[in-house]
Amino acid sequence: MSAGLDALKHIVVLMMENRSFDHMLGGLMKDHPKINGLNGDESNPDAQGTEVKVSDTASYRGQLSHDPDHHFPGVDVQIYGGAGFAPGRQANMKGFIKSYATQGTSAKDSHAIMNYFSPDKIPVLTTLATEYVVFNGWFASIPGPTICNRAFAHYGTSFGNVDMNMFLVTDADRARIPSIYERMKQGGQSAKLYYFDEPSSTMEIVNLLKDQSFFATFDQFLADCKSGNLPEYSFIEPNYSDHPGPGGGQLLATDQHPDHHVLAGDNFIGQVYNQIRSISDLWKSTALLIVYDEHGGLFDHVVPPSCTPDGFQAAEAATGVPGLTFKFDRLGIRVPAVLVSPYVARGIVVPGPEDPAHQRIFEHSSIPATVTRKFLQGNDTGTAREKNAQTFLDLLGNTMRADNECVFFGKK
Amino acid sequence: MALKDAPIINMVNFDEKEAYNHDRPISSLIRTQLLHLHTAENLWLPPEDRTNININELHTEKQASEYIQRVTALLHRHGRRQQKATSRAKAHRPTKSAKARKKAASAPRKRASKNKSSGKKRGSRR
Repeated sequence: MSAGLDALKHIVVLMMENRSFDHMLGGLMKDHPKINGLNGDESNPDAQGTEVKVSDTASYRGQLSHDPDHHFPGVDVQIYGGAGFAPGRQANMKGFIKSYATQGTSAKDSHAIMNYFSPDKIPVLTTLATEYVVFNGWFASIPGPTICNRAFAHYGTSFGNVDMNMFLVTDADRARIPSIYERMKQGGQSAKLYYFDEPSSTMEIVNLLKDQSFFATFDQFLADCKSGNLPEYSFIEPNYSDHPGPGGGQLLATDQHPDHHVLAGDNFIGQVYNQIRSISDLWKSTALLIVYDEHGGLFDHVVPPSCTPDGFQAAEAATGVPGLTFKFDRLGIRVPAVLVSPYVARGIVVPGPEDPAHQRIFEHSSIPATVTRKFLQGNDTGTAREKNAQTFLDLLGNTMRADNECVFFGKK
Repeated sequence: MALKDAPIINMVNFDEKEAYNHDRPISSLIRTQLLHLHTAENLWLPPEDRTNININELHTEKQASEYIQRVTALLHRHGRRQQKATSRAKAHRPTKSAKARKKAASAPRKRASKNKSSGKKRGSRR
């Protein structure tokens, strides 16, 4: 066991909303060639068939006021260029503008789906990606929307769902596939889901809210860090809406869901990181994963790979794609994922599909799989998907980086 | 070594007041959250605790967040009450082994049947 793994007492996951890898981190490839981002020549055809290239002109808000489609049929268009389902069809990642043009945008505005951020515009995420570990191959668990993808982070499955509909986990399913929080509790460990505040609440509403002990607010997270009471496993949800705060204040959404202000989310990531970074005992003993739930309809150039099925199927009526029954045997579109710990060397890039000989494919089942491996060894619950998922704690090494090698985020 | 040695990277400042817009129409994500909470309200809360708010009339992030806050608080309160009730019930439950419980469960029945028959006898004697 490495010194880093030996020192590890806390895993913290911050899951943001709806941005693709290329959109947020693709611009890093220019100065960091191992990062599988954009070379500037990637393109998609628009409605007139004109090829539109990617552009580093993404704005913090305003370009995506029409929410890009990220439901199952829309993502199918994005991945397969609009070719309907047929055996042997090839993914080409050519349907992003075509899909966005169906969302009420003008032909010109639909090109915004190809925009990405230059790294200096979102310094917190891009700094963490280059200072610690970035994954070239972390994908959404399903080519679909938020709720089913987040379910994979909590359960290692979405119980057959590919949409936003509410699903109730039956007692039989719960006994077979308990959430990671229930597993931790049963195993005598602590786990908490920190949502931002009550007006923002949680996206894991119906099943976990039955047990109050799993939930707390972000203020409590900050307090638990300070008091030394952070659980072994913490999952943080950002603020999902602009809403009034205490004492007449105004709280900005920090989830980065289009069209929320991207900088509010970047600074929120910085706040979470700083809180851990600034408490010496916590910094030494914590691994922080920042990951996005799905790509939100935004362009990424990497074809999603196949994966171990989770034992469920979604019928044609559920997928909304004529002829397609989904067997949960391929992943969704690539998302940003960054692992932070003082026990990782600077600038590690975990290879993805661009390096078939060394690739490691991650998806949200990797979260419960990693937590289970670290804290619940011998626990055999979980789907085949989760049991076969890559875990990320082997990335922690033997050497702890000095304070002068680990950044802190400030405000001008 | 201390935090003061850490290289400082500045976050980007922006006009938060200008960015704030609680009248923004809600996204499909928040619409989904409203639907889920509305269903949870009807599934778990007793009728007298429900908000009776028509979520179809909620259009902005501010309106949605007010409803979400109210229902989240209600669900937590209800959950805490249920947990207390469950703990109380557990506390009053005798802590016997399964075998002892089985034995104890069968024994009173025998006594009851004897009493019943003896009662009848008593009754008949009267």
